[in-house]
Amino acid sequence: MGSGAEGSAGWADRGAWRDLAPAVPFLIPYLVLFTVFLVWPLAHGFYLSLHDWHLLEPRKTFVGLANYAGILRDDLFLQALGNTALYVALAVPLGNLVSLLIAIGLNARVRGETLFKLAFYLPTVLSVAVVAILWRWLYSTEFGLINHYLAPLGRLVAGDAWRPIPWLANPSWAMPSIVFASVWWGAGGGMLIYLAGLRAVPESFYEAAVVDGAGPWRRFWSITWPLLKPTTLFNVVVGLIGAFQVFGQVLIMTNGGPNNHTLTLVLYMYRTGFSLFKMGYGCAVAYAIFLVVLVVTVAQFKLLPYRDEMG
Amino acid sequence: MRTERWTVWLAWSLLAVGALAFLAPVGWMVSTSFKEESKVATARPVWIPDPPVLDNYRSLGEKIEEAPFGRWLLNSALVSTSVVVLVLLICALTAYPLARMRFPGRDALFFLILATMMLPSQATLIPNFLTVQALGWFDTYAALIIPGLAGPFGVFLLRQFMMTIPRELEEAAIVDGCGPWRTWAQLILPLSRPALATLAVLTFLGAWNDFMWPLVVTNSLEMRTVPIGIMIFQGRYTTQYGLLMASALVASAPVILAFLLLQRFVIRGIVLTGLKG
Repeated sequence: MGSGAEGSAGWADRGAWRDLAPAVPFLIPYLVLFTVFLVWPLAHGFYLSLHDWHLLEPRKTFVGLANYAGILRDDLFLQALGNTALYVALAVPLGNLVSLLIAIGLNARVRGETLFKLAFYLPTVLSVAVVAILWRWLYSTEFGLINHYLAPLGRLVAGDAWRPIPWLANPSWAMPSIVFASVWWGAGGGMLIYLAGLRAVPESFYEAAVVDGAGPWRRFWSITWPLLKPTTLFNVVVGLIGAFQVFGQVLIMTNGGPNNHTLTLVLYMYRTGFSLFKMGYGCAVAYAIFLVVLVVTVAQFKLLPYRDEMG
Repeated sequence: MRTERWTVWLAWSLLAVGALAFLAPVGWMVSTSFKEESKVATARPVWIPDPPVLDNYRSLGEKIEEAPFGRWLLNSALVSTSVVVLVLLICALTAYPLARMRFPGRDALFFLILATMMLPSQATLIPNFLTVQALGWFDTYAALIIPGLAGPFGVFLLRQFMMTIPRELEEAAIVDGCGPWRTWAQLILPLSRPALATLAVLTFLGAWNDFMWPLVVTNSLEMRTVPIGIMIFQGRYTTQYGLLMASALVASAPVILAFLLLQRFVIRGIVLTGLKG
């Protein structure tokens, strides 16, 4: 990354500034948008986070870091943080596992590979609203498909005591249910990236291992898994950033319920800003989320020190 | 390498089971949408509607007062196509000097743009909402189209692709007396067609499915896009699953079609950049 077709132009180059002239008109349209809708809001948001401001009132009161201090004492925020952490801790490993298993299957050069890819990737092109509405129906207690097919198993285990599970209304089941739907929605992307990673492993490595008498299990753990580490790191980092932002699923499927058990950070920020109109506090919450994501992402890079081949 | 036939067979069987499980929810959506409302909730799952009816699709078109589905489709189509055209144009302009020219600060600028790819989008949500309000764009197409154009994904994708175009081609064009604009329009753009196609498909899918931003910057029923529309629908007809599944299927038809027709571009784009649009 960053190594251009030729070396980068030094600031000290004579005439370097003259080289800027032809580039500027190409850059202007995007840079205007980039400044107004990406750079400025970051500064503006931080400025607002230092204020107490209700959207419908003209007065902004400077409060310093009081909003941030308030976040640390805000039970609802802390609950949302815990819920989101649970979601991330379930969805990211499970999603990666499912993606990897499918990719390993596809890597066996099976017949109909393209059709399989299409089937596994199809959910990913759906809108989160569609996914949420569809899974609400699948999770329906009385007539949902999932309880339908679970019933025989449930009766086998619990006998007559079996009752259909109210997936989204039960405090313990609600978040895992949202995780399950989300994994179904997103596994296709990770699958494609894992498959590309698997195809990049030189065949000769496996041939040598076979000569040495290594079985499939051994080959996976000594060759495939170590060589896939950069791919895994990539999928985990992208997955984490996405998972921390979980919003549409919870808004539509449970609206944070039951009893705030699926209230996530972004849903909390959305309510703070757009239901309560507490814009200053909402911005502070947004920055807190940003900080959490940043810390977790950096920690990932430190734990798995493979930076190569990253975008 | 010795191919163990039983492994391939086992892999195929497991994949087939997995693929069926992955497709089952979508199949159930299709099946439910063609059922009479009285036959949606049954004691046992009925996969083939008996008889298959279009009632739900007909009612979608009739509930214009409380759910203008046609208008939502029109909004989504208009917004998505505008976003695709503008993203292609603006990103192709910016990517060119970043990939092919030398100027001071080029790499720093590219790094800055790249860094924002890691930025969670809700970090800018409230301030961008306020900017849109201040510009008088709240509840307009401008709000739905323009702020999204600042996303760095397209610049990154096209810059990476343009770096791979052989330098000799460009030098030949310059020798022939082409300025930067003609080189861009007549050489770089045509050569970038595969990357532009990938970007177009991914951008379309992203724009059609976008949820949080349209939710925040629109509020009239007439300005909603399809994903927000079906959420409103869901709030109104909570348990009329036949109707809800029909609305979800209509909302998904354009993206499913685009994906099936252009899947090689989608798959290449994901593998190339590792990111969804």
